[in-house]
Amino acid sequence: MTSNGQDLDTAATSVRESPPVNVLDAVESDRAATPAESVSASLRPINRTTRLPALVENAIQRFAVVGIWVVMMLVYIAIEPDKILQVATFQSIFGSQEPLVFLALAMLCTFVVGEFDLSVASVMGLTATIVPVLVTQHGLNVALASAVAVAIGVGCGLVNAFVVVVVGVDGFIVTLGSSTLLLGAALWVSKSTTVSGLSVSFGKISLTNFLGLPLTFYYGIAIALVFAYVAWFTPLGRHMTFVGASREVARLAGVRVDRIRFLAYVASALIASLGGVLLTAGLGGFDASSSPGYLLPALSAVFLGTAVIQPGRFNALGSMIGVYFLASGILGLQLMGLGGWIENVFYGAALIIAVSVSSLVRRRRGRS
Amino acid sequence: MPARLELRHLGKTFGHTRVLSDVHLSVEPGEIHALVGQNGSGKSTVIKVIAGYHAPDRGAELLVDGEPVHLPVRPGSLAASGISIVHQNPGLVEHLSVAENISIGQEKRSRWTRKLNRRREAIAAGEILSRLHVSLDPSTLVKDLVPEERANVAIARALCSQIPGRGVIILDEATRALSRDSAAAFYKTLRHAVSEGGSVLVVAHSLSEVMAIADRVTVIRDGEIVGDGLPAGDLSEQAIARLMLGRTVEQIVSVKQLPAEVPHIAVRGLDTGHDRCLDFDIRRNEIVGLTGSAGAGWEQVPYLLAGDARARAGVIDVGGVTIDLARASLRHLLKAGVVLVPERRELQGLAVGLSVTENVSLPRMRRNSRPWFSGLRWQRDEATRIIATLGVQPPDPDLPVGKLSGGNQQKVLLGKWLLGGPELLILHEPTQGVDVAARQDLLNAVVSAARSGTSVLLVSNDVNDLSAVCRRVLVVHDGAITEELIGPTPDHIVDAVYEGRPTVGSSA
Repeated sequence: MTSNGQDLDTAATSVRESPPVNVLDAVESDRAATPAESVSASLRPINRTTRLPALVENAIQRFAVVGIWVVMMLVYIAIEPDKILQVATFQSIFGSQEPLVFLALAMLCTFVVGEFDLSVASVMGLTATIVPVLVTQHGLNVALASAVAVAIGVGCGLVNAFVVVVVGVDGFIVTLGSSTLLLGAALWVSKSTTVSGLSVSFGKISLTNFLGLPLTFYYGIAIALVFAYVAWFTPLGRHMTFVGASREVARLAGVRVDRIRFLAYVASALIASLGGVLLTAGLGGFDASSSPGYLLPALSAVFLGTAVIQPGRFNALGSMIGVYFLASGILGLQLMGLGGWIENVFYGAALIIAVSVSSLVRRRRGRS
Repeated sequence: MPARLELRHLGKTFGHTRVLSDVHLSVEPGEIHALVGQNGSGKSTVIKVIAGYHAPDRGAELLVDGEPVHLPVRPGSLAASGISIVHQNPGLVEHLSVAENISIGQEKRSRWTRKLNRRREAIAAGEILSRLHVSLDPSTLVKDLVPEERANVAIARALCSQIPGRGVIILDEATRALSRDSAAAFYKTLRHAVSEGGSVLVVAHSLSEVMAIADRVTVIRDGEIVGDGLPAGDLSEQAIARLMLGRTVEQIVSVKQLPAEVPHIAVRGLDTGHDRCLDFDIRRNEIVGLTGSAGAGWEQVPYLLAGDARARAGVIDVGGVTIDLARASLRHLLKAGVVLVPERRELQGLAVGLSVTENVSLPRMRRNSRPWFSGLRWQRDEATRIIATLGVQPPDPDLPVGKLSGGNQQKVLLGKWLLGGPELLILHEPTQGVDVAARQDLLNAVVSAARSGTSVLLVSNDVNDLSAVCRRVLVVHDGAITEELIGPTPDHIVDAVYEGRPTVGSSA
């Protein structure tokens, strides 16, 4: 059909029948054969010293929030040294944020994969209500009551996951709905009163003092470290990151996108439920109507966390730093004499600023 | 009489890359003018300058009816200059009526109450539609319209803001959604639109469409005008295609090495939604090209073969394993070694916010890792390997992919799949929006991959690419292969695609 077709057909040469073990070997050898391209130059490891300024810039980006935190604390100390420089103040900052750390990590499960779970605070509230109700009104032992409560919490996550992933409804709407629904359920179970009466011995799983701080602080650290490890160092974490960054790319690379999205909602509910059990144990009971108040601070911390450690990405250690940053900011202001209203102002403003910063960082990262 | 719209000495540089240089474009009163060029040739940049989206380089001039327009164009002043742009997605509001959509932006209000006057809107819309000889009830909701009628509404809206007999309507790929028959009717509407002295500038990449519609054609290639206002009547589709593609054909690799005789990949009865089906084989070490005219069904082939979309019917045989394409999942095909380099690089190919290393290692995450530790060294090795062998610039494995140029992104994408040693590598428009040097590197890598045992299917519009690396090029018409070209030149391919003689070649 074409003029040089014959030439090609007669120019048969030996054919390599080796399986395609590594295609790039051939690419490498081909490039080496062309003198113009100096492969050795490009094979040389990247010169670290030339990137030093970049590293410094990187560090500034990663730890800017920590820097602000330190400066903020120094200012507080300068103004109110007597009140701030006390063990009790530090215990109050680091010892009382357990519910926020758990909620932030629960939300993170879904945020990392590009989903949205607003129901975590209500799931936490529901489990925190169910445990004392089962123990004090139905006579279950605490271990069984906790197990039942966590199971119910995880069940809520399964329902969320089903509606979002299988039915295909927007996660924001679904979890906004289930959040209100579960709050109502918690109020119903508790008959709209504070349920208390859990034994002091049960409280020990939360409150036992270790190096000046209650155990819940260490639980939070542990679970954040596990989360960070999974995200950074496991195939699952990488798959989650890709599902969040680009669902299409992940799918075309063979990642089971829907399974990961489904499990994210379930894991989110599990972490929130565990947080609920520890919360109710520490308090000795729970007031169901207080759970919505935990949502926004946790949300602020998660978004603030995207400016720390891994700028532009949701990450566990960043979220935890976010929680303590916000807590210390508020406590400092309160010690300086500002009223309880400052909490709302501070958390709200932090959320707006954090989201603005993170979207700016992302815009810079995404395109040159 | 001055030109209705004239661009002179238009240059545009982004950073250090010059995407337009000394572009000239002149649209006469009462004509339909076509601006054509390949993807990445700069035609959309020209439109974006006219729309005020990009500021041109110093020295450019834009004249409307002989009057200079201040550059950069302020987007709000477009309508006042008599320019209206209809985009590929015409931006109609689904649940509003035809009349409401036409009068958006220039609502008719009652004189005293400033209330919207629907009756007057409907009358005005009806007038414009009748001027276009379009029979549409202005009270119909847009969501009930077929694509052709929507395109007509978009034209009517553009016309509505203009003084009769003046102005330019720019159609930026606005006919993509139209079927062939409805496109013909739409062209008639356009004729009516220009019959009063207004002008139309059509930006298109489908040549048959351009030939059917335009009075004159301006061809742009690599940011330069290579055909300035040529009368369409004197030109054939092939002639325009050649202008678009250029003559600078470098034979990348002589495909001397003949593949093994045994077919390695066999595709049978692949249904692309046309009357006929596709059958073809690819041998080990072979690069087969697949091309055809727009809409002939070959563009879906990569996605059907890779399992991204389910085929209605068809089977693929990969080295002895037969897979039913109507039932198999993407993961199933991946496992068999069928990998896809998709056309939409930033949507389907790479996660632009993540690093080169992360992107490259994704497909082998499970295989090369333990469940509890993914291992850092193999990932780093893979990334540095890709960077070195394909020459990715800058050579930084931690850089987010979005910071790389298009050509370097494409290298990362190709490398990501090559590292797995695929049985069948499917490439869709792999050199689109890629500079010349990167194109060389990419095609070299593809040829090397084939040499080491991969079967390659190159699905592309780019006849230069096809001619440079393919031993065989299959040409598709109406969902079936009508010609098989052996070692063709770019001209052979252009002829086969645009003439479309149904001479079925010997099938291998």
